[in-house]
Amino acid sequence: MLVVLVLAALALLTISFRSPTSGVLHDAQSYGATALRPFQVAATRVARPFHDAYNYVSTLTGAKAENKKLRRELRYYHALALENYAAAQENASLKRLLQYEQGPTYPKGYRTVNASVISFPGGPFDQQITISAGSNKGLRVNTPILSADGLVGRATNVGRSTATVALLTDPSSVVAARDLRTKVFGLIKHGQGNTLILDNVAKEQTVKKGDIIVTQGTRDRRYPSLYPYGIPIGQVIQVGTSDIASYLTVQVAPFAKLTGIDAVAALIPTKASKLP
Amino acid sequence: MTFADGLKAAALLFVAAIVQVSILRQIHVFGGVPDVLLVTLVAVALLRGAVVGAAGGFFAGLLVDTATLGQLGLTSLVLTVAGYWIGRYGETTGRDRAHAPFLSVAVVTILYGFGLLLVHFVLGEPAPAGAMLEGLGPAIVLNLVLTAPAYALVRRLLRPFERSDLTTEVQLLG
Repeated sequence: MLVVLVLAALALLTISFRSPTSGVLHDAQSYGATALRPFQVAATRVARPFHDAYNYVSTLTGAKAENKKLRRELRYYHALALENYAAAQENASLKRLLQYEQGPTYPKGYRTVNASVISFPGGPFDQQITISAGSNKGLRVNTPILSADGLVGRATNVGRSTATVALLTDPSSVVAARDLRTKVFGLIKHGQGNTLILDNVAKEQTVKKGDIIVTQGTRDRRYPSLYPYGIPIGQVIQVGTSDIASYLTVQVAPFAKLTGIDAVAALIPTKASKLP
Repeated sequence: MTFADGLKAAALLFVAAIVQVSILRQIHVFGGVPDVLLVTLVAVALLRGAVVGAAGGFFAGLLVDTATLGQLGLTSLVLTVAGYWIGRYGETTGRDRAHAPFLSVAVVTILYGFGLLLVHFVLGEPAPAGAMLEGLGPAIVLNLVLTAPAYALVRRLLRPFERSDLTTEVQLLG
């Protein structure tokens, strides 16, 4: 009996396998399925309320776990979105740096090393940032650091793969600068808040509001400047004087955004002896 | 085995097949699907022996394959062997043992799963062993849950043979 039934099953299987979509057996199967259809529909209808109840309970018990899972996913995607946003910001900064590097104001005899800012000033007494490039990329102490908008500062402490940069607003920072229009010379120092001061400008000199201040560059080979000529520093926002003072009080707003900066470029001289 | 018994067994398997195909196939609990048809077949085979088990398996498999428009003969082949084997077990070792339905259901659930996997594999169809193994444990548990009520119902409809009707392996003459 078993052998007969197994052989019959194998025969059915063989025929069905050879012609799965046509043939007498397929037609018979179709008729059979049609005949069984009312029973299946009836069974489904009878079971529908129970099925719905099962689904309801199942969904209810699963809802809590699903909620927890979705919250976890939400946290993950929220972090991812923030990460992407930060990357987009950094990308924009790097693009602008690239444009600057290819622009006409880019100093000759230098190459740039782009770097991300990995730590920001800790407070009002700490006007330094840390960047993700160091001696392995050619940075040295006093390497000029700039952004696409203008001068940012100089490297003050260089590690193998990171460097500390003193911003223009750091009390130790002094930059030889000049008025692009009148060629008046002065020293850029930190001022109040995030502003700078163009110091050592004699009262007889002419500096006007709106003038552009750039780096002075080397005037005497014996005393080479840390910064090449022509890097934009800022714009004069206020000029003041008093009867007893020897110098003008020239307030300068830096072009470079010194807070919340994402990416910077280090100017590395193509000839090793350029930096003092 | 009377004609009425055969009719009752066929009706039971028919209803079980329809319920299985239309309702229980949708219920997935921890990856396992309860199989009332297999449980019913085990009960019928235990109570009525190997021949009825094999024939019932063939008939039930044919119903399933027809209703689902599946590969005709595939389920029949596996269920026929399963029904026969359980029938033999019922006629010999499993006779009068309370745990026989449960043991049979647990073992047949495993063999049925592997049997289907093997046939699918031989036919060159997708045979996801990992998924089958994953759902095997829950399926055994679910089938064991179904065993008690299903066996009780089948036993009520197909009353066990008297001791004198049962096949004996050794008959002493003289």
